[in-house]
Amino acid sequence: MSSRRFDETVLPHLEAAFNYARWLTRNDVEAEDVVQDACVRAMRFFGSLRDEDARAWLLAIVRNSWYTRVGRRGPATQSIPMDETVHDAIDQALDPEAQLLQQDEVARVHEALEQLPADFREVIVLREIEGFSYKEIATVIKAPIGTVMSRLSRARERLLAALAPASRMENAR
Amino acid sequence: MICAEIVRVLDPFVDGELEAERDAAVRDHIAACTTCAQAVAAREHLGRLVRATRYYSTPDRLRAVVATGARRSSIASRVAVWSAAAALIVAVAGGALIARTIVHNLRAPANAVAEDVVSDHVRSLLADHLFDVRSTDQHTVKPWFLGKLNYAPPVTDLAADGFPLVGGRLDYVSGRNVAALVYQRQKHTINLFVWPSDDGSSVAPPSSIRGFQVEHWIRDGMTFWAVSDLNAAELHEFRTRLTR
Repeated sequence: MSSRRFDETVLPHLEAAFNYARWLTRNDVEAEDVVQDACVRAMRFFGSLRDEDARAWLLAIVRNSWYTRVGRRGPATQSIPMDETVHDAIDQALDPEAQLLQQDEVARVHEALEQLPADFREVIVLREIEGFSYKEIATVIKAPIGTVMSRLSRARERLLAALAPASRMENAR
Repeated sequence: MICAEIVRVLDPFVDGELEAERDAAVRDHIAACTTCAQAVAAREHLGRLVRATRYYSTPDRLRAVVATGARRSSIASRVAVWSAAAALIVAVAGGALIARTIVHNLRAPANAVAEDVVSDHVRSLLADHLFDVRSTDQHTVKPWFLGKLNYAPPVTDLAADGFPLVGGRLDYVSGRNVAALVYQRQKHTINLFVWPSDDGSSVAPPSSIRGFQVEHWIRDGMTFWAVSDLNAAELHEFRTRLTR
């Protein structure tokens, strides 16, 4: 298989691959390693990509690469770094007070999302950040659409609970 | 629909995954039911917050590594094909091998440049570094190269012919700084690389490399390489209009 189709078909989805890997790994360096592994695999298996959605196909490989690495090392060593640049993407159109409030909320949702188990975290990232359809998410996580739906539902319930001030107090221990 | 049913389809509803009929039923329900309307609003608000979190952009280093890897693997596979071909030829007729090797070597320089310009074309699109100067005005683009190159590339706008000039940048081909002019044909990008031609350099025939069309010509002491994902006929038309 020639690399020209690889260039055209797969590389345009590198952004989505990295963002997804970064959310899975919660670590810049590891995310780079995972994406690099995934691209090597993707190049090798490129011939097996038929008429499928290349973006979902690539992200499924990213996911496999990550699980291979985690499996090798054991998930216990996963770190959960705090992210200080979380405020970067705040809607600038809001007035200062609303911006502060939203910054706080966005920071909290970012933190809550990082704390979610990977199975829940990834469906939120794929759906809300990457805008994947249920069918595409099903391709990435290799699960039926019904599972995608219930995971999304449970992930959202957890996030909403984490964001509600009252339950935050309870969870603070 | 009753509230208990709505709860079960909240997520596919906010995600636009319900079929039209059920979607309309949920809409009717939440228009009348504050509790369910709030549940929908909470999910939508959550979605906005998640989307407002930072998007992790691909580091340039990773982008470069992956693009280079893709290029290398194509070269490696071509070398493999050549080796296989060579082995076959050796087995069949030794003389033919020599002839083919000579032909290959003679053509290598032009091929290497063609490879280079295609890689630069891909890189300019992938790295999102299409322009150093972004302008549709040839009188802005041409002077921009002054002092950056020791020659003045001819800059012609072809907007009237359906190939508008959109900008230019400095690029690097075969060990030298060159002017890259960027043209557009509908959604397609054409990179036109221009530098002074060397004495006795030969003109490569139009070719297709990794699916990109490449045209090469020499005119008024300048060598031109045009690369695009346009089809061969359209890229040739571009060349014709430019050299008219």
